[in-house]
Amino acid sequence: MMQPRVESHPAATGNNLVILVGLGVAFLLGSGLLAVVGHGELVTEQNLLYVSLIFYAAAAALYMGFGITGRESDVHFAWLATAAGLIANALAAAERWYAAGHPPLASMYETLLSFTVTLAVLTLVVESRYGVRLVGTVTMPLAVLSIVLMHLLPSAAHPLAPALQSTWLHVHVTLAMLAYAACAVSFALALMFLIKDGLRTETFLAWSSALLTGIYAGILTGADSSGGLAVAAWNRREGAAILLAPHTPLLVVIPGLGILVLLALVVLASPLVLCAWGRRRSSGIGYVWAERAFLIGIFFQLVTIVVFLQRIYGKEYPSRQAEGLFPTDPAASPFILAGLLSGLVASLLYLMLAWRRPVLERVLPAAETLDRLTYKTICIALPLLTLMIATGAYWANRTWGAYWSWDPKETWALITWLTYVGYLHMRLARGWRGRRAAYFAILGFAVVIFTFFGVTYLLPGMHAYA
Amino acid sequence: MSSNPHSVIHRVLQSLSSLRLGIVLLILLGLAASAGTLILQRPVTEPETLRQLYSPGALRWLDAVGLTDVFHTRWFVALLGLTGLNMLLASIERFPQAWRYFARPYRRPEPAYLRSLKFQKQIPIRSEQEGIQAAEWVLAKFGLKPQRVVQTRGISLFGERHRISRLAAYVVHASLGLVFAGGIADAVWGYRGSLALGLNEQRNVLDSRGGAPRELPFTLRCEGAGQENYPDGSPRRWWSKLAVVEGGRVVARKEIAVNEPLTYRGIRFYQSSYGSTGQPSAIQLIVARKNKSESPRTIVLKEKEPVQLDEGTTVRLAAFVPDFVLNGNQIASRSSEPNNPAIQLVVKSKGEEDAVIWLFPRFPNFSPPDRSPYRFQFQDLSMGYYTGLQVAYEPGQWAVWTGFVLAAFGLALALYWVHLRVWAVPTSDAGGRLVLWVGASASKNREEVEGHFAELVEGIEKNLRGVPERLDEARGISVVESVGM
Repeated sequence: MMQPRVESHPAATGNNLVILVGLGVAFLLGSGLLAVVGHGELVTEQNLLYVSLIFYAAAAALYMGFGITGRESDVHFAWLATAAGLIANALAAAERWYAAGHPPLASMYETLLSFTVTLAVLTLVVESRYGVRLVGTVTMPLAVLSIVLMHLLPSAAHPLAPALQSTWLHVHVTLAMLAYAACAVSFALALMFLIKDGLRTETFLAWSSALLTGIYAGILTGADSSGGLAVAAWNRREGAAILLAPHTPLLVVIPGLGILVLLALVVLASPLVLCAWGRRRSSGIGYVWAERAFLIGIFFQLVTIVVFLQRIYGKEYPSRQAEGLFPTDPAASPFILAGLLSGLVASLLYLMLAWRRPVLERVLPAAETLDRLTYKTICIALPLLTLMIATGAYWANRTWGAYWSWDPKETWALITWLTYVGYLHMRLARGWRGRRAAYFAILGFAVVIFTFFGVTYLLPGMHAYA
Repeated sequence: MSSNPHSVIHRVLQSLSSLRLGIVLLILLGLAASAGTLILQRPVTEPETLRQLYSPGALRWLDAVGLTDVFHTRWFVALLGLTGLNMLLASIERFPQAWRYFARPYRRPEPAYLRSLKFQKQIPIRSEQEGIQAAEWVLAKFGLKPQRVVQTRGISLFGERHRISRLAAYVVHASLGLVFAGGIADAVWGYRGSLALGLNEQRNVLDSRGGAPRELPFTLRCEGAGQENYPDGSPRRWWSKLAVVEGGRVVARKEIAVNEPLTYRGIRFYQSSYGSTGQPSAIQLIVARKNKSESPRTIVLKEKEPVQLDEGTTVRLAAFVPDFVLNGNQIASRSSEPNNPAIQLVVKSKGEEDAVIWLFPRFPNFSPPDRSPYRFQFQDLSMGYYTGLQVAYEPGQWAVWTGFVLAAFGLALALYWVHLRVWAVPTSDAGGRLVLWVGASASKNREEVEGHFAELVEGIEKNLRGVPERLDEARGISVVESVGM
């Protein structure tokens, strides 16, 4: 049984962590500066974004370090790193605003830019005002992922199409970002509630395994019968996907990658199976093996990420749709990459829980406080969601002459709203508290993620530009 | 329970207004809506794409249950209606109780009620007067607007705040009902359509997708339209100058652009697109007689407007292909832009067979032989442009906007405001001591109210212990209040 280990030398570990992270930040900033000296321009949006990425990553490491060691200085430095990242991020957004001449809310890249700013602000607020010091453990990796994703997305500031030139659009997207960031925080708080409430580590393992299985199964839908994985081809010179027809990218097949993903999927799904088996037999042995399988699964994830990136760079692959060999790029498959990375982050968060649960429970506020804070953040999110839908409808009415046309993004915004409305009714009228409410909050955030990313990339509609 | 019709109706109403049904409906609505986005929908998909993606059997099945057009099926509309009905009935059923809280504040609580309160505290006092005064001062400080209530046994205090929040949930439900009503009104009486107008063209008939053309009560004329571009060539702005013609005279004029519609008699005209019609508005040609040395002249040819060349000879534009390409032996156009125009003219002379002439301006030397007495040379071409307008009549939209604003306001009211009530009653405790019994009740957020209540009690206790200047202040207030009674 993988029992949480007793702290043997927390102080030393803690100091080392702060020093290591500090050195890492200094090194990255220094090397970034050297690269900049070569090019001349110092304050550009890309550089600022790079700085904020470094600080957010440092904050994420320190928050996780705090979770592991429980040392106050870690969380103090994590707060400072978050604030530093926020400043750089806000400056990047301002630079973008200045350069493009419109608020950075018009494309997926720009909305992510605004989203990370909002997320960092909310993290700092929840931490300072309500004393929940671990929110950053979830939100900072989320910010890092968002910035990595932004690096992959087409970032050129396009002039605004006629339909997008409206103040209402800015109001609409700002409200959406605020609401979604509040939902992200409520999700982090709900997870913490479940930890504090004593949800068993086995259950977390089973859920992590289920999430990873879902991600890898999703990636595997792009596999073909020969064991390859189909990804979109990429024109490096133009920095855009190669299209066969509008919305139909040319797909190239990377041989062998499908088999690797399948293998990883089997390993990653095994903890789920083993947990289920252990539960039915009510023996602890299932969990022991599940945890071992999970560690092997982390290894497989790393291998998959490394092989995926190594295969993508610098090679050309055949396609089934056209003659010849075509290059590809991580930017052509932002979803696969985001899926792989968030899977890894989720795994690391689980490891933190499995190894240092007592420390985590010590530093977290009381379960009732977390429960109430989850509810409070949802109370912030719901009126914002309502206004977001209203302003979106008003804008659509001014632009297309219809306030509601059941386009997928609209529909999913409504589904998000319905989910949180359901949460509220269960809580206020039925008195749902605790676990059930926390599960509901997590479900709500899953719907938000699908509305934000899934609808844009998986479903067609008039929100094609955002 | 008998089979009494009243009890049947009662039970039906009860289950229709239940929260359980509400939640089930919310879930069903969510599932149906997500199905409508995950399955390709007929109105926005080419039939060909649907046939490629789904097997014929599956498609037949999806069509039969309406899953290929979820948002227009009867069952989806019924689901929406049922949700609205549930919301309405639930509000009606629960409203009287909330109204009682609002309209008849519970100022004189029964001792049993006080004892059952979650937040209560007994504070020893020296005299009733002193206890009431201290409590009055602290309640006023907390914004609870204390009122003295004369009971049979003496005077007690009642204070409350945010009483209106008891009604907030009903405000939200009523405003969502307003949104529903607006939507229904628009679905029943409203209409949408599109209108494509060329320059100086006027029309009063709308094309509506999948429906019969609709006649407008007035005529719309386009007096100008254009596109402005960004330096990179992508469109920045589309505009059109529109005139409304009613009874033969212009009653309104406006230049519209995307996001700046024209509204006339409740009907709104939106700029939605701008583009080439693929047909020329005018073609300039140089004409000369083939066998006579007559000086060539210029003519302007328009669609459906033949030009007289001499007595008994006319030329007309028979066909125009903007982007000519031969597909096998079929003439086709690659686009509606005049990249490779092909012009077909027909020359009609008295007593002779019509002569057909093809002109290819890009390839002036290539002209198939013809029997026309005239030779034509291409000089200039201006393409026809149309402005694409969306037309909408939405009589219910103001109900929708009002509903939305009220709903957001009501939600904030419902979520952030707590109806807090506090009673302070001088009484004697089990040991016969004179005490001030302070109790509080809150409509929600009990955890936070607990903190507030503790502060309140602490404040009263402090005040009783007598921080002198405060006591004076408190007395000052209470004197005024008692004078007012």
